[in-house]
Amino acid sequence: MKLPLLFTDELRGFYKSKLMLILWIGLPIIALLFRFAQTTSTGQDIPFTVISTIVISSLAGTLSSVMLAVSIINEKNRNVYTLFLIRPLKRRELLLAKFLSVYICVTIASLLAVFVGMTTDYITTGMLSTKLIDNTAQSLVTSLSMLAVSCAAGVLIGVASPSVMVGAILVIYGGNQISVIPLMPTILNITYATLFTTTTTLLTCSLLLIAAIGLFERKQF
Amino acid sequence: MSPRNFRNQFVVLREVTKKYGGLTALKKISFEIGEGEIFGYIGPNGAGKTTTMKILVGLLTDFEGEVYIGGFQVPKQKSEVHKLLGYLPQSVGFQEWRTVDHALKTFGKLSGLTETEIEKRITEVLDLLALSEVRHKKIAQLSGGMTQKVGLGQAILHNPKLLILDEPLNGLDPLSRYQFKEVLLKLSKGGTTILFSSHILSDVQDVADRIGIINRGQIKQVGTLNELKEHLAEQRTVEVLLTYATDKWREFQNIKHVKSVEQPSVGRILVNIEKGSDPDDVMNDLAQLIVKQKIRIRGINLLSPSLDDIYQKYVQEGESI
Repeated sequence: MKLPLLFTDELRGFYKSKLMLILWIGLPIIALLFRFAQTTSTGQDIPFTVISTIVISSLAGTLSSVMLAVSIINEKNRNVYTLFLIRPLKRRELLLAKFLSVYICVTIASLLAVFVGMTTDYITTGMLSTKLIDNTAQSLVTSLSMLAVSCAAGVLIGVASPSVMVGAILVIYGGNQISVIPLMPTILNITYATLFTTTTTLLTCSLLLIAAIGLFERKQF
Repeated sequence: MSPRNFRNQFVVLREVTKKYGGLTALKKISFEIGEGEIFGYIGPNGAGKTTTMKILVGLLTDFEGEVYIGGFQVPKQKSEVHKLLGYLPQSVGFQEWRTVDHALKTFGKLSGLTETEIEKRITEVLDLLALSEVRHKKIAQLSGGMTQKVGLGQAILHNPKLLILDEPLNGLDPLSRYQFKEVLLKLSKGGTTILFSSHILSDVQDVADRIGIINRGQIKQVGTLNELKEHLAEQRTVEVLLTYATDKWREFQNIKHVKSVEQPSVGRILVNIEKGSDPDDVMNDLAQLIVKQKIRIRGINLLSPSLDDIYQKYVQEGESI
């Protein structure tokens, strides 16, 4: 079982390549900028916590799927995987390590952005209502679900695409649209939306990852 | 190199065929490599060298025929095989953020070494490859030759029983090539079986115990350098170097078993001997004639084909098919 080793290795890679830092600092900053732009343009205040979750689900989703797709395509084309695949490990462990490390990185970035949002709301309004906290928690579940689907789609696109250009196009046209799936129970106003969102996410992620692993297992390097 | 004996066949390929769509990259190739042997694999671009190596290391699994490494079948027993081998691909790639130290640590752990073994082996390998100074540098900042050495480092880190090196000497300066070859010889003496491909025939000649020539997906010949020479040398040539220009060399044509005589440059005479005849008899007769005719010479040599000649012969043979 080499997954824990590959996972920590990937995390170290993100840390070393400054990607982690950019995400963790960048996402809360972008959320703050959105808040500022929203206040000055309409004069009406939407709770910052809500803005944060919107930023997370749209921006972080795209970022994570692009990060995964591009890194897999690059590493595939530069024969990086060859040195891993000739060692006693399972091919699927490579992909799962990548998926988990990026997902955990963007999850932390998302939580940071929401934390910044809640702190800002608390400072500006002097309180955090129970309703706001409930809504935020629900939005966060949806956002993190969408992120998970985006990451899984990024892995599949990375494995299937022959070039970075094709990968980027597929992520923009396909990956982002698939990530809307976890949002459907909320849009359709289904009872127990959160439960349905979680179940849909698990199913979609599993299907996307199984497809990616299947392709990767058959790939002749 | 003096010939060595290898009893146990460590690598066995039997009737291996690999097709890429309509293109047949390997056509029923078969050869064996003995334990501790250095096997040089040569052939022109696209001959099938890399495909053979990728099949051996388990990267290509869709092929016909049988492949065994250390008694384990490839790719069925891939996990056992992977514990035995080290591989340096033709184009070695590392993630940009990795330092030499970090890359070797990761690959060491993935190969099953303990933390203590990793530390010890990294120090040994970096010393062996003269890379100690760049241990904490990013691989992306190293030269092509240095990166190639790091590639060899990861391949030998876990003391593999079989080392498969695809064009390992590409992009190396003469000193590095020399050091690389020394490392291969040292590893072989320690019992490591080595299969390596190269376009630089002199390098193959320097280190290989046996040589395999592949062209257009077919094994043309396998043997020691001497065996290959013997095989090629059905028609032998004697070179006579004259001290001064004279026409008396035309008399050489009358010697028994001489097929033809030519003078490619002034004073250099080539005497081609008939197939199947003993070159020693012809040289003896030649020497007597030279004395009798009072021809002054600087030297007389039985020409032996070089690896270049052998390679050209088998490659051109393939081209003419």
